[in-house]
Amino acid sequence: MYDWLLFLHVLAAFMVAATAVIYTAVALGASPGTPAIRVADAIWNIGGLGTLVFGIWLALYVDGYEVWDGWILGAIAVWLIATGTGEQARVQLAEGARNFAAVHWVRTLAVVGLLVLMVWKPGA
Amino acid sequence: MTLLAAIRPDEWNLPLFLHLVGAMTLVGALLLVGVSLPGAGRVRTAGVVRLGFRGLLFAALPAWILMRGTAEWLASEENLDDDPPGWVDAGFMISDTGFLLLIAATICAGLAARRAGRDRPPATGLSTAVIVLVWISLIAYLVAIWVMTTKPS
Repeated sequence: MYDWLLFLHVLAAFMVAATAVIYTAVALGASPGTPAIRVADAIWNIGGLGTLVFGIWLALYVDGYEVWDGWILGAIAVWLIATGTGEQARVQLAEGARNFAAVHWVRTLAVVGLLVLMVWKPGA
Repeated sequence: MTLLAAIRPDEWNLPLFLHLVGAMTLVGALLLVGVSLPGAGRVRTAGVVRLGFRGLLFAALPAWILMRGTAEWLASEENLDDDPPGWVDAGFMISDTGFLLLIAATICAGLAARRAGRDRPPATGLSTAVIVLVWISLIAYLVAIWVMTTKPS
């Protein structure tokens, strides 16, 4: 059970990171095309939901972790920032807004921050 | 049992973080190429073909090196390099095969980009080869993610 929860949680994290990579190409000036952006947005939604659901499930399942642990609450806060900026990045890219890249880099930083919290688990 | 599974020494954190950054960037770059090339339809523009080449050369290849180098670092930290368990062997086998596929895909993408840059008709065969190689790699890395997280055997 633990192994499968971890696999699905990590797989969801890979989806989130893949969206950040595809959007990074756009922020650097590439044009991967509308289908690629659609795929990126779809896996962002699935991955975002997956990281949260399987992450909380893991926290409840693993002895010694609680959902109210500082590093988990911190991760949920960073997840909210990533979700908010991710949605903003999607809208701004669709509208061709000028500060799309800035919003995307904040989102990417939040994704990296999530990974740091998941690996180091400060306070755990 | 589940508590033991979740605990690891602090010395493993940095190589694990870098390993994940490399692996996630690699998968993201492969997916970028794997969806942008077929997404452009049968007539692929020079820009999309160039993106495929650059995505593999400047993102996927460095990411593979980071992922593979830190995998060795992690194995050494965990004292798994002398008699590695099956899941470590499987990870190395998938990543090394993935490297060969990545090199082949990068060469095909480079040739396709070169041809597209000379305003010749799009090299459909080369682009298709890139798509096939990239998607085989992505499926292999999906298996690798499963092996790394569930650690069978």
